[in-house]
Amino acid sequence: MPRITDLSSFNEAREAGLAKLLPPTPRIAIGMGTCGTGNGAEAVLQSFSDAINQRGLSIALARTGCFGFCAAEPLVNVWLPGKPLVILQRVQPNDTAAILDDLTAGRIPAGLALCRIDEWDHITGHVKYGSGFPEIPLWNEIPFFKGQKKIVLRNCGLIDPTDIEEFLAVGGYQALYKALIDANPASIVESIKAAKLRGRGGAGFQTGSKWEFLSKAKADRKYLICNADEGDPGAYMNRNEIESDPHSLIEGMIIGGYVTGASHGIVYVRAEYPLAVHRLETAIHQAEEWGLLGDNILGRGFNFRLQLIEGAGAFVCGEETALIRSLEGKAGRPTPRPPYPADSGLFGQPTNINNVETWYNVAPIVVKGPAWFTETGSPKSPGTKVFSLVGKVVNTGLVEMPLGTPLKTFVYDVGGGTANDRAVKAVQTGGPSGGCIPQEMFDTPVDYETLAQLGSIMGSGGMVVMDEDNCMVDVARYFIEFTHSESCGKCIPCRVGLDKSLHYLNRITQGKGTEADLATLDELGRMIRDTSLCGLGQTAPNPVLTTMRHFRHEFEDHIRASRCRAGVCEDLALSPCENSCPLHMNIPRFLQLLKEDRLEDAFVSVVMDNPLPASTGRVCQHPCDDRCRRSGIDSAVNMREVHRHIADSIYPSPRFPDLVARLSALRKPSTGLRCAVVGAGPTGLACAFYLRMLGHDVMVYDSNPNAGGMLRYALPDYRLPKEVLDREVELIKLIGVDFTFNTRVPADISLNELDQRYNAVFLAIGTWKENWVYLPGTELTGVIPALPFLESVSKRETVPLGKRVIVIGGGNAAIDSARTALRLGSGVTILYRRERKDMPAIPEETEAAEAEGAKIAFLASPHRIVGSPDGRVTAIEAVKTRLGEYDSSGRRRPIPTDEIVRFNCDTVILAVGETVDIDFAKASGLKISDRGLIEVDRYSLETSRSKFYAGGDLITGASNVSGAMGLGKKAARNIDKRLTGLKRWRDLFPKFEYDQAAPAHPSDSRRHHVRELEAEDRARTFSEATVGLTSVEAMEESCRCLRCDVRTGDH
Amino acid sequence: MSKAKVATVWLDGCSGCHMSLLDIDELLIDVLRKADIVYGPLVDAQEFPDNVDVTLVEGAVSSQDDLRLVQKIRQRTKLLVSLGDCAVTSNVPSMRNPLQPKVLLQRAYVEGADVNHRPPTDGVPALLRHAVPVHEVVKVDLHVPGCPPKADAIAFVVTELLESRKPDLAGKVKFG
Amino acid sequence: MNNKISIRIDGELIPATPGASLLETALAHGKFIPSLCHMKGLSSVGACRLCLVEVAGVNRLLPACTTPVQDGMSVTTQSDKLRRYRKITLELLFAERNHVCAVCVSNSHCDLQSLAQRLGVTSVRYPYTFPKVPVDLTHKKFALDQNRCILCTRCVRVCAEVEGAHVWAVSSRGVGSRLVCELNRAWADSRY
Repeated sequence: MPRITDLSSFNEAREAGLAKLLPPTPRIAIGMGTCGTGNGAEAVLQSFSDAINQRGLSIALARTGCFGFCAAEPLVNVWLPGKPLVILQRVQPNDTAAILDDLTAGRIPAGLALCRIDEWDHITGHVKYGSGFPEIPLWNEIPFFKGQKKIVLRNCGLIDPTDIEEFLAVGGYQALYKALIDANPASIVESIKAAKLRGRGGAGFQTGSKWEFLSKAKADRKYLICNADEGDPGAYMNRNEIESDPHSLIEGMIIGGYVTGASHGIVYVRAEYPLAVHRLETAIHQAEEWGLLGDNILGRGFNFRLQLIEGAGAFVCGEETALIRSLEGKAGRPTPRPPYPADSGLFGQPTNINNVETWYNVAPIVVKGPAWFTETGSPKSPGTKVFSLVGKVVNTGLVEMPLGTPLKTFVYDVGGGTANDRAVKAVQTGGPSGGCIPQEMFDTPVDYETLAQLGSIMGSGGMVVMDEDNCMVDVARYFIEFTHSESCGKCIPCRVGLDKSLHYLNRITQGKGTEADLATLDELGRMIRDTSLCGLGQTAPNPVLTTMRHFRHEFEDHIRASRCRAGVCEDLALSPCENSCPLHMNIPRFLQLLKEDRLEDAFVSVVMDNPLPASTGRVCQHPCDDRCRRSGIDSAVNMREVHRHIADSIYPSPRFPDLVARLSALRKPSTGLRCAVVGAGPTGLACAFYLRMLGHDVMVYDSNPNAGGMLRYALPDYRLPKEVLDREVELIKLIGVDFTFNTRVPADISLNELDQRYNAVFLAIGTWKENWVYLPGTELTGVIPALPFLESVSKRETVPLGKRVIVIGGGNAAIDSARTALRLGSGVTILYRRERKDMPAIPEETEAAEAEGAKIAFLASPHRIVGSPDGRVTAIEAVKTRLGEYDSSGRRRPIPTDEIVRFNCDTVILAVGETVDIDFAKASGLKISDRGLIEVDRYSLETSRSKFYAGGDLITGASNVSGAMGLGKKAARNIDKRLTGLKRWRDLFPKFEYDQAAPAHPSDSRRHHVRELEAEDRARTFSEATVGLTSVEAMEESCRCLRCDVRTGDH
Repeated sequence: MSKAKVATVWLDGCSGCHMSLLDIDELLIDVLRKADIVYGPLVDAQEFPDNVDVTLVEGAVSSQDDLRLVQKIRQRTKLLVSLGDCAVTSNVPSMRNPLQPKVLLQRAYVEGADVNHRPPTDGVPALLRHAVPVHEVVKVDLHVPGCPPKADAIAFVVTELLESRKPDLAGKVKFG
Repeated sequence: MNNKISIRIDGELIPATPGASLLETALAHGKFIPSLCHMKGLSSVGACRLCLVEVAGVNRLLPACTTPVQDGMSVTTQSDKLRRYRKITLELLFAERNHVCAVCVSNSHCDLQSLAQRLGVTSVRYPYTFPKVPVDLTHKKFALDQNRCILCTRCVRVCAEVEGAHVWAVSSRGVGSRLVCELNRAWADSRY
């Protein structure tokens, strides 16, 4: 084994390494980090090796570390002499034969190629692979890598971590050589200081200053320690660094030892990282053999020994004083500073501890100088940081980004946003003792100071993306549970304070919390933060304090409404479907009742949960579909269609009168109290139904001649036939709700009159005012707003419509207008300024519209409407848009381009959103919110005026049917509580006995969809476009339910 | 001026706090001039009345009955005072808490009994899992610790409260 | 290093010996700073956090027991925040284990109890844990009642630093921490 003693032996070794990296034959290198092997890289390697041997191919086969893109593992690098290095993704053993075929034929397996690397800057060295394959994107053109700057990870995934020659080939140990030849340790300390390299373990202390302390300390023996006790859940940057490039750590530490006068180095690494331990041991052994470590390094007379110690896995041992105690063989408990380790550390000797990643920055700074280093990153925090980006993003993996990069770049650009179109809610940085930063603050640059200001920390670089399926209370609870179980127990605030914090958080997630608990938690959190002995306790309350600061409404939901919107806190939800339903229908119950062939019970169950089941059964946005756990097996149970089936089976049947009688029998005795409901739309009808069932006298006022609101006047007949709605309204009338039609509030009856006549008033007026976009040309004849258009059609009025209709918008009103116009014989094009996935309309509706012949122009923003001299619409011009930055809704903002497209047309329908006509409220003592809506208490729906409640679109703006009905239902509950002073709500609902066992073998049947009439047929008529499920299909759907509502054991 | 309505109640405790209350001696006469005792072991009232001004609660909350009673008291009382260590800390009654009630009853009524080897069920309220201080189940306005609180301290508290002042207990009581 | 330095404690100028801790210095001059883990003659561990004080120019609280005095240091030992935090600390201790003072042998001569009285604790705002913890009655002369242990580790340090016997240690972690005799033996089996 050659010992490197001078420049020529150094160069020899480098040449040997380079010949391995760029051999005269093709080379295949397989990513063999823990992430690669976990995804089957071992088998891929075996498969390659077998095939190469069998075929007797002249192909070099090697192992390498991980290139960082964990979501695409196993990664395989292939190289043909003179060509770029190409990284293949998700390579499986059965791909290997084809890959070898391609390589021997001088080709690259195009289908598997992720990216190519023409040349690589190893910072301390440079490798030119070659050129060609322009069809394969360059590595930094891939969204995941774009913006990344690999300083720490400079060698990861490109060299064989077990081969010191390859490391030497890319400039390894150059910095050490330079340091020893220059023999000016003080200047290196100065460089590190000038580079403002900060500790990458999280605290961000200046590394140069720490080195200076140690170099000035006088002692016979000094220690350097590398903290590789990476213990944050979900964080694995240190593991990957050591696994992929162990020599860079060794080199950094030897340089550190040389300049600080330390003769002993210790790497304290997690025992749970066997591969890292193994590779580091190998590397230490090699470095010793090559004369780079041990006595008389590089023949320059400097001695440095490096030892590897495995930590037993206590999170607190990441704290430097606890780590030192652990190395001394004592219990891992921190000790107060002073004395600082630089004065009295390991065995009482001067000691310096740095994180793994800090050591990786040493060689580049030594070789390239501090000025080069400070070019990257932010002024106070230069350089890069490796983050493990995990959670609800498409691209997970290790990313190395310049410090100061805004959070949204991580989430949307590198991470690629969420996989399932759920809105991103927050990013949790810094591991279990970090904080949660809400989506509104994603412009935040990621650096030490800014994160600290937001109550979070950089930590070691964990970054967990959370979406609306994450409950922030549960997140806080989870992390406190972690730090609580990892607290060493030495100091009281951390030991007992975290225990009590956990107690309160558990209580809140169980729905047993009080508002006083929040104040107690806050006070306790601050106390633990300010008084704990070590970093663990001082940062442990961060998750609680930040979630309470940024997501207080979620805590309040749990406490005041026993509601966990994300559906995570199991004690607060019956099942995911029930939790997602704005009406909180007991969906598993009606499915089970139907399964037990108890149709009438199922109907009562459905109607008592939702008084307009036939309508919602047709038009609901069905949030339940997105939550159904059955979709983990195949696809969601078609719950909406089952309850439509149940309703449709009873309403037109002879059983209807019996069921009306059965429901009437459930009605509470008359209270003699009088309630008014303003607006006979779904919100008002829901509220009226429940108030009546609770025994109150209810009068519903509406300006129209019939009940139903938007259901009747905005939804086209082909979606909801009028006779279906009529039967539902009839039921509500039969229950005893009274109606006064053709009466406007406040024109015909004032709020004061209502106040005098009634004990409570519920306001539920819909969004009848169309937003008007101010485009040149909206004054032209032929420009019409969507809602009045739909209303006129539904009232069977004649609407003058041209042959070519343009609809502007992407919501349900736009699609309804388009499909209605098609049925009136027009050709229709929809202009939408964003992408398809951003459309708020129900996807099935959009697809149906396209099937019926509507065209959709995406990324087209209306610019002006062109008219003829006589003032009629002749065309519309739209600016093509491209997608820009992500906005606060998590969608990419459309940015106008120079390209303008023109559509000839004679009618333009504007469907860009509706608002409430709030004028009536202004003089009535009702407070109006900033959004121009009526202000109510979120939980009770009370307005600022006593006796008056409001719900539906009036308080939320335009929404959907079930959401609006949910508010009507909630209002009835609160009105009753106020009127009677009693909690009678639960008593209203009948109890059903039904099977309470999860099915041992849920039905294998696939999801049944409604049958749509043929597109050509249905596009000509207003009769209903879909046919509901048959009894057999509905029964089968019921049998597909997994019964998540069934509680076993302790529940 | 109408007289204040004062109640006392004895939950899970030894009645020592009530004894200490009686130890205020002749001051009791002054108190009764200003207040009526409307409920408690010292008077014969079966139902806790409405609109009580001050209730002194002795004892920890140990059973279902204690819990219901103290909740009712809270609803009907303006000022609720935890009197003595059992009410304030759950004290001696809490010594059973590390054990499950079932184990406790087994030990007391089965293993420790000569006759009738079974825990009583009729007419005795079910034990809560833990005997807890009053403020863990309802809001408490004033804590007067002590085992028992000294008669002087009780006299001071009652006098101050009847004068509509919030008593400053610094130096007058002894926690723990 | 016999030269004296001076510091200010709550505004009062006090002479101090370099190398001495803030707590020693304060106590020597009749200044009260509460503490439970500190004991004269033993090393300081900074565990109870009751002796935290505010030092001018330092943006976090420092434990008086392990902070050496420095010339010109200005220290505040009493503030609303410190009083609030000290009370919370004591209440957490009472809530952690089973401190039934009324029947405790240490009633009326107990540092925890008297500190609570001195700092104005009249109730514990946190729910009591009521843990089931062991009582070691194996020894002929002594009993170890974990119900009352606050993990101040004074006994651990006396045994190690004064007696040199190293019998006692704390095992486990977090709220599960327990004082143990010779790697978790019964006390009776100890050689001492």
